[in-house]
Amino acid sequence: FSLAACSVLWVSLLLMICAHGYPECQTISLADLFNRVIQHSARLHRLSSDLYSEFEQYLIPSKNEIGTRKCHTSYIVTPNGKEHAQKLAGEELTEVILKLLMAWGEPLAQFHQSMTQQQDYNIYSSNKAMEMSDMVHELKNGVQKVAEKMQLLGILSTFLNGEDTLHSLESESSSVFSVDHLNFLHCFRRDSDKIWSYLKILKCRILPESGC
Amino acid sequence: MMWIDSGTMPLLTLSVFFLLLSPATSTSAPGRPRVTSCRSPEKETFTCWWEPGDDGGLPTTYALYYCLEGSETVYECPDYKTAGKNSCFFSKNDTSLWINYNISVVATNAEGKSVSEPVEVDVVYIVQPKTPESVMVSVLEDDHGPYLRVSWDKPRSADTRSGWITLVYQLRVKQVKEENWEEYDAGMQKYYNVFSLHSGKEYMVQVRCKPDHGFWSEWTTPAYIQMPDFIPRERSMWIMVAVFSAFILLIFAWTMNVKRSSVKHYLLPPIPGPKIRGFDQQLLKSGKSEEVFNALVIQGFPPTTNYEDLLVEYLEVYDDVKQELVLNGKNLPEGLLKSKTMSSDNDSGRGSCDSRTLLMEKCAEGVEESGMEQELSQFGESSWASSDSGEDRENPASPRQEDRKVQTWPPVFSSPQPHHFQQQQPGGTRASYHSVPEISCRSPPGHSSGGQQNRFSKPGFYQYTQMHSMDSIEHKHVAQVPQSQSAEYVEVQTVDPENILLLRPLANAEGHDPELSDFAGEDYSKVRDVTSDNILLLQRDLSGPQYVRDYCQDQSGQVDPCFMQLQQVEQTCKPTNVHLHLPSLMLQDGMRLAGNGYVDSTIMMS
Repeated sequence: FSLAACSVLWVSLLLMICAHGYPECQTISLADLFNRVIQHSARLHRLSSDLYSEFEQYLIPSKNEIGTRKCHTSYIVTPNGKEHAQKLAGEELTEVILKLLMAWGEPLAQFHQSMTQQQDYNIYSSNKAMEMSDMVHELKNGVQKVAEKMQLLGILSTFLNGEDTLHSLESESSSVFSVDHLNFLHCFRRDSDKIWSYLKILKCRILPESGC
Repeated sequence: MMWIDSGTMPLLTLSVFFLLLSPATSTSAPGRPRVTSCRSPEKETFTCWWEPGDDGGLPTTYALYYCLEGSETVYECPDYKTAGKNSCFFSKNDTSLWINYNISVVATNAEGKSVSEPVEVDVVYIVQPKTPESVMVSVLEDDHGPYLRVSWDKPRSADTRSGWITLVYQLRVKQVKEENWEEYDAGMQKYYNVFSLHSGKEYMVQVRCKPDHGFWSEWTTPAYIQMPDFIPRERSMWIMVAVFSAFILLIFAWTMNVKRSSVKHYLLPPIPGPKIRGFDQQLLKSGKSEEVFNALVIQGFPPTTNYEDLLVEYLEVYDDVKQELVLNGKNLPEGLLKSKTMSSDNDSGRGSCDSRTLLMEKCAEGVEESGMEQELSQFGESSWASSDSGEDRENPASPRQEDRKVQTWPPVFSSPQPHHFQQQQPGGTRASYHSVPEISCRSPPGHSSGGQQNRFSKPGFYQYTQMHSMDSIEHKHVAQVPQSQSAEYVEVQTVDPENILLLRPLANAEGHDPELSDFAGEDYSKVRDVTSDNILLLQRDLSGPQYVRDYCQDQSGQVDPCFMQLQQVEQTCKPTNVHLHLPSLMLQDGMRLAGNGYVDSTIMMS
């Protein structure tokens, strides 16, 4: 109870201060935050699709690998349908999103490095990879901000399972990076689409009037 | 045998017939079918269609099998019916996203079966929504004219409310009779305004949509709309502008036409043709050069006879106001005299009154304008005592004359340069003069003895005399233009009984009497002095002493008449000789040499 009271007090104080228009505490509305994050993830997905198409021209997947394709994030349980996604609570959905983003941060950096090292790829692909790596980081931060805001506004009841678990997940995934670039990109393309979709669902569930 | 023959005959023909008709049918296994496409309309279900191959002559059945990525389990299509023939429909329960489906179709007949190529499908990437619904088109008006407003609805099956799927829309417009479509992207909104359409034409509109990543839907059925007739605002405005300017141009052209001549005069001012007095163009055209040249010779030029018609200048000498002869104790600034440099004797560059010939004509008309006064009073501020000169002239008072630049000189004496005067006297020693040198352009009263041509040539050095106020036209007053060393000579025309010498400028000696001709040029003496006895002292010209001598000797006859005249006219005129100072200038005190040898007698007189 005290925690709730504290948070309420904090929110009211914030609102009081910021209502007077101090430039330091220019607050962005939740809708705007969501929109930014969704646009970010859309762009991320587009990048990954483009890069995958480029790689497909270079590398023909061998027949053997089709069946054995496996993504390193497959351990993360993600809803694979609309109903499933809608059944998840907001906190869970946010958690899934953050888990995915965490899992891809390190491998993407490594991917970019390996690309530049190999020098087989043109500069545009390398730039895209670098941009993807950066965007994942930013998106992660953004989603965290959104989560914080939602918690501040009382939409999400409990804070996410501490960063520790997420970080542990991250450290686990770093060693799983595979050399198969095509498969790697295929997995990332899919996961970026998941992130994007989950964010949209989250937004339209929390803010139904904002363009849904 | 007959029975057998009749029965088997048709049978035989039939069998033969059948044998002939039917080829050798060999049934075989069916050909490979082919999965043509799989589509999901709302990202929740999907359908796959296949194309059967050759059926091998036997009834063939088709079955679709699929397995999921990462699993070996093979499933069969749950629904063959919903989507029609040769299709498989996957319901929501059977649909999983973000998972690859490995789909293949097997065709089976009695002979065998064949399997199609496997197809990998991820449902997320095969979304093709249904067409938008409820397309409505209407015509709206605004300031710039009518425009089209198109609105529509999302396809019913697509769930955009939960954010599961986001659609972007596109519409296209064309005139019914045209061929090219105009496409517009509407983004995620469900309406669009189309501008800049032609008036009076019929248009058709279609809309389609697309999910985030997926395929475009089909176009909706066309919606027809008729644009109303209107004139675009800009065009009507331009029409008005064009009409108005045409009207203005018309009026302008008409006025120009009416005022044709004055416009022509303004634009192309007539250049005065060459005008030579006495030059008759007609004569020239006629071609007789002698006549032309003869015509150039002006008989009456220089005027010799009719002195009355000419400008007369007279010199008035007073006894009682002798001391005021020149200027009462006031020194005329020397510049007055000096500054008059007689320039050449031509008419160029001067106004009408500067030209000697023209001047005479003018002044012969008895012109006595106040303009003369104005010209005279350019000598600076002065209270001209007798400025009025008694003939109701305006007082050329100082206020008027300050900056006057006399372009036209008093008529008689041509070519003094007023500018010089002005320049040399910038600050103006504005002496107050009691007398105004004035020239009166008057025809002399009929005193001239027509007969005798008494000439008294006076070189162009003039004395100042006082101009006494006259009150009648009879009074002759003398004004002398302070003229410095000008070579303008005057000759005495007559001597009036009232002791007035009527002088006139001496023109070219052309056409004169022979005796006169000697007077042309430099054969004149200058009046050096006027003695108290009313005797004119002639000054020998420095430049030509011999002339003077000649003058004295050869034309003594000339001299005498002068004296005789003087004697006749003036009682007090002593029949003394005119003092000819043959030797060079004897400069007396008070005499000042000015310019080229002329004596400034004014100072002397004072």
